Amino acid sequence: MFLNIKDLYFKYNNSKEYTINKLNMNIDRGDVLAILGESGSGKSTILRLIAGLEEPLKGSISLNDNILMDKNTFIMPENREIGMVFQDYALFPHMTVSKNILFGLDKMNKKKKISRLNEVLKLIDMVEYKDRYPHELSGGQQQRIALARAIAPRPSVLLMDEPFSNLDADLKNKIRKELKEILNKADITTIFVTHNKEDARAIANKVIVLDKGIKINKGLVDNII
Amino acid sequence: MISMGKIRKNVNLWSILSTLIILVIIITNLNIIQNLFNKPNDNWTHIREYLLKDYLINTGLLILFTGVISLIIGTSLGWIITVFEFPLRRIFKWALVLPMAIPPYIGAYTYSGILDYTGIIQIFLRERLGLTINQGYFDIMNIPGAVFIFSILLYPYIYLITKSFLEKQSSSLIENGRVLGNNPFQIFIKILLPISRPAIIGGVSLVVLEVLNDYGVVKYFGIPVFSTAIFKSWFSFGDIDSAIRLSSVLLTIVFFVLILEKILRGRKKYSFSNSKIRPIKRYKIKGISKWIVFLYSLLILSLGFIIPTLQLIRWSIMSFTSVLDYEFIRLIINSISVATITTLLIIIIAIVISNFNRIESGLISKIYSKITSIGYSIPGVVIAMAVILLLVKVDNSLYGVYKIFNSNTPKLVMSTSVFMLIFAYIIRFLAIGFNPIESGFDKIGKQFFEASRTLGKNVTTTFLKVDLIMLKPAIITGFILVFVDILKELPLTLILRPFNFNTLATKSFEYANDEMVQEAAISSMLIIIISAIAIYALFSLENKEVK
Repeated sequence: MFLNIKDLYFKYNNSKEYTINKLNMNIDRGDVLAILGESGSGKSTILRLIAGLEEPLKGSISLNDNILMDKNTFIMPENREIGMVFQDYALFPHMTVSKNILFGLDKMNKKKKISRLNEVLKLIDMVEYKDRYPHELSGGQQQRIALARAIAPRPSVLLMDEPFSNLDADLKNKIRKELKEILNKADITTIFVTHNKEDARAIANKVIVLDKGIKINKGLVDNII
Repeated sequence: MISMGKIRKNVNLWSILSTLIILVIIITNLNIIQNLFNKPNDNWTHIREYLLKDYLINTGLLILFTGVISLIIGTSLGWIITVFEFPLRRIFKWALVLPMAIPPYIGAYTYSGILDYTGIIQIFLRERLGLTINQGYFDIMNIPGAVFIFSILLYPYIYLITKSFLEKQSSSLIENGRVLGNNPFQIFIKILLPISRPAIIGGVSLVVLEVLNDYGVVKYFGIPVFSTAIFKSWFSFGDIDSAIRLSSVLLTIVFFVLILEKILRGRKKYSFSNSKIRPIKRYKIKGISKWIVFLYSLLILSLGFIIPTLQLIRWSIMSFTSVLDYEFIRLIINSISVATITTLLIIIIAIVISNFNRIESGLISKIYSKITSIGYSIPGVVIAMAVILLLVKVDNSLYGVYKIFNSNTPKLVMSTSVFMLIFAYIIRFLAIGFNPIESGFDKIGKQFFEASRTLGKNVTTTFLKVDLIMLKPAIITGFILVFVDILKELPLTLILRPFNFNTLATKSFEYANDEMVQEAAISSMLIIIISAIAIYALFSLENKEVK
């Protein structure tokens, strides 16, 4: 078990019901897991809990046998080594593409930084866009940059929140293929959430179906969908 | 049970600093309440029996009439500018805010100078037209006069808020009204006024708070109200207890105003959640209506800005040789340096608390936000008392520490230095810097912050590398607003300035009180010019952002 979530409970301040209700799940290294559910099912909340952006009421999360959180421990998001691609990408508008990607590479020396920057730019096939600002890119390009920024620091796990929700239908098929290729090349354990079965089928090898914060099904993509 | 993880997650530099600042604000204000429990003295019995009624009636009249008149001027101008197309509308749009650049005490002595026996109007009537003038007609130094000064200089609070509210409304509202057979005035009364009610009431309550805070106008006009009475009890009679009791009555009025505001605003929050609204399309009015609207705007602008400014320019020309000297340069340095230092501190504090509030975003952050904003509702005279009482106490307890550094130290160190003034400014004007910065953070949202955290940056590095740059427009807005307010501030500065320390505001007030209105003109003009530039800068900034 690479990522292990045990008896996890979570509730937002203004809500009476649990958003996440006694969730248990395991992910193996190299898996690409889709969390499938309707809006309001708590699927994005799971990503936020794994990233450390929300704090669960009870339960534990561990990654590669290191505890990220339990009743005595809470590792801050910046120390979890987990990459995240946000639903609306959250590219820093005042930084160029290169600056956005270099942002998470502070711990490397200058030479390594530049080489990693070029490596991920090549991976997403956007080398020539490195001096552009986010507003000068299309939606699909912004998404690729957000992905490059998230994987550049070599996180242990990559989280993606509704990666296709901001793209129009024509673009979706193309980006799904590209994303699958990039994830394969990058060889990174990935969890993404979606409400679209096609997204799950196209990219994931495993899937969890979620309803009202409770896991109702899990397994290999081909068996579930 | 609070886990260690939770404590570690929530305790950081931002939360500690915010909590410390909030505690200082609370302790300062609690001083007033604590002293209320002392036994009342004879002086207070006298005030309660013979004077309190007058203070209450005068204060009531001032806030009632100023509230109503500035409401009429502010909303009508907000409506005209948003809904009609008429000559020079674009200039009026921002120029109608300019009266805000004239502090009411400067307006008060300028207008009484214009209208008195040796003023330009009476000279003209007497010498050119040969008229004998009944002085009673020209006496402005009374309650109606003060209402005029307050209304004509403070209406921009309501104008601005109404204008920006109406600008955000949809054209379909007006078009629907027209299709249903209403003329523009009926639409204003039946549709626009009711939907703008919460915004307008917010503006009126700001005006009322400004009137309650005022010391300069009522002192110059000799109208007995709370601020002048507190001043007198304390400085003329040395009676701190009565001053505190008067302050608490004044504070009760302030809280009454705030509660009334809440009730009148109600739960109605009209705004469009649909982002595709079509902004209001302006009517092109023709014929006589066009000129009525134009002349009305021009009249208000003239009364609120052009006339007093022209008079001040004339006086400045007459008096500059006697006023412009080394002492005057010192005044400018004092004013600018105190305003700059305080504004910087306020902006830093506002950033710390609003960043903490954004990260925390729970009940605590709501409470912190309210406490931070409280100072602007409390009249300057009351804050001055609270700060003196607190710092004298602090000085007394730190006397031992002072002695370690300097064996000949006087007992009162902080409470006799400019530190006390800066401290009081911070308590009073924190809300002015806090509001734009808090809404700046709201606008940015949390997503960039969270993205930065998942990329390995802690709260502070995220703030420095991401938030600070994106927050720049809000910081500039906050800086300008606070800076101008401090430059104009009078009651706090008069009470708390160190011995022999004058600012442009205190000096112009002193000159005017010594019947040297012409000498007061240059420092007043400087305040007005700086404030007017600031207002223009804010307008350009806003337009740039909209684009």
